Amino acid sequence: METIRNYLEAMFANMPRTAEVEKAKRELLQMMEDKYNELLAEGKSENEAVGTVISEFGNLEDLAEALGLEDELAKEHELTEREPRRMLILDEVKDYLQFCGARAAGVALSVALFILSVTGPILFSSLHLPEGIGVVLMFILIIMGVCFLVLLGIRGNRWSYIRKELCAIDYATANYVRQEKQRYQSSFALQLILGIILCASCWLPFLLFEKVGAAGELVATLQLFLMVAAGVFLIIHSSMIKGSFDVILKLNDVETISGSYREGAVPEYASPAAERLMSVYWVTVRDIYLILSFVTFSWGTTWVIWPLAGIIYAILSSAMKDKEGSHEHE
Amino acid sequence: MSDMPAAISSDVIRGYNDTMILYILKQAPSYGYEISKKIRSISDEKYVIKETTLYSAFSRMEKNGYIESWEETAEGSGKKRTYYRISEEGRRYYKEKCAEWELTRDVVERFIEAV
Repeated sequence: METIRNYLEAMFANMPRTAEVEKAKRELLQMMEDKYNELLAEGKSENEAVGTVISEFGNLEDLAEALGLEDELAKEHELTEREPRRMLILDEVKDYLQFCGARAAGVALSVALFILSVTGPILFSSLHLPEGIGVVLMFILIIMGVCFLVLLGIRGNRWSYIRKELCAIDYATANYVRQEKQRYQSSFALQLILGIILCASCWLPFLLFEKVGAAGELVATLQLFLMVAAGVFLIIHSSMIKGSFDVILKLNDVETISGSYREGAVPEYASPAAERLMSVYWVTVRDIYLILSFVTFSWGTTWVIWPLAGIIYAILSSAMKDKEGSHEHE
Repeated sequence: MSDMPAAISSDVIRGYNDTMILYILKQAPSYGYEISKKIRSISDEKYVIKETTLYSAFSRMEKNGYIESWEETAEGSGKKRTYYRISEEGRRYYKEKCAEWELTRDVVERFIEAV
């Protein structure tokens, strides 16, 4: 039955997304399913049944006339010939998602390194060791982070066509990505909550080590940076991975039936503007951080941008969620 | 050529898909696959209507008011199906088509030699 479903979806993929077309697709699927089940009941093999159903299905020209879509169909033929969308195959999408996972970990790690870099000078100066070594340590961590980002940028070039060219995915691929996204949902929520808790409670060590004096303060300070780095890592890592599913699901033209493949996917933002804003959020924060840090050279304070950005991200993304969508689920 | 079974000309039969569907709906309301199955068995497997052709006919006749549709959940499987029934307008149209066919057949037959 999955083959029949895919066949029908492929047939309709570039038709305009109207109530009439949706209805036609639904009813054709009903008829094909009935026929398929009966053929199986008659003792036909699955392959034979699929073959018969597809060979007796007919063609889109028949339908276009009934739906008053001759013009659209002609336009579609013309459009696909002039500006063909690049079809992504399932394996390609799997590779891309794998890269996105690596990229999310890499970006999150380099940001964590930026935050941790501050601890070098703090550690060395409060232990009365040569401060120069602490500063060198700080720069080693920063350079490592920058190298990670540059390397990821180079590796990412291979995939730049997904954003630059007109691409499309078929129904089976959309299904796969949707399932992966759904599966990631609980892991995402867990990481996000843990990340926010870590960032928000980073001052707690100061209460605990208050009475231990100077040594206690050093431990508390180090712990603060550790907690913030871990928290920010979790927030960035999880939201970047989640975003990569949406990049794929949003490829198809929303005006066509294939644009409906992303539906049923979990919460989206209320407006296209909000969606655009959130998609460039982390890149913008990273650029602001790097520019500000290199211009002012106060690496000791600029790291604050990250926990702040994490909390702002959480607030923004929940405020801009599609309210109508979430009501439907209730 | 003589031992090959003659295929139905889709151009000729197209004008009578509506007639066949209305004939079946006149007996009882029905849904897509059941109608296509009946057309097949009544024609002794000589004519298999394509799904797209069938849906086009439904959609066109519904617009013209010859048939009406509603959604119904089947008792056994719990599957949702679109059912169709014939309207008064449809019955009138069916009679017209029958008369039209009688005339067509009467004319064309005069020019046909037995094979």
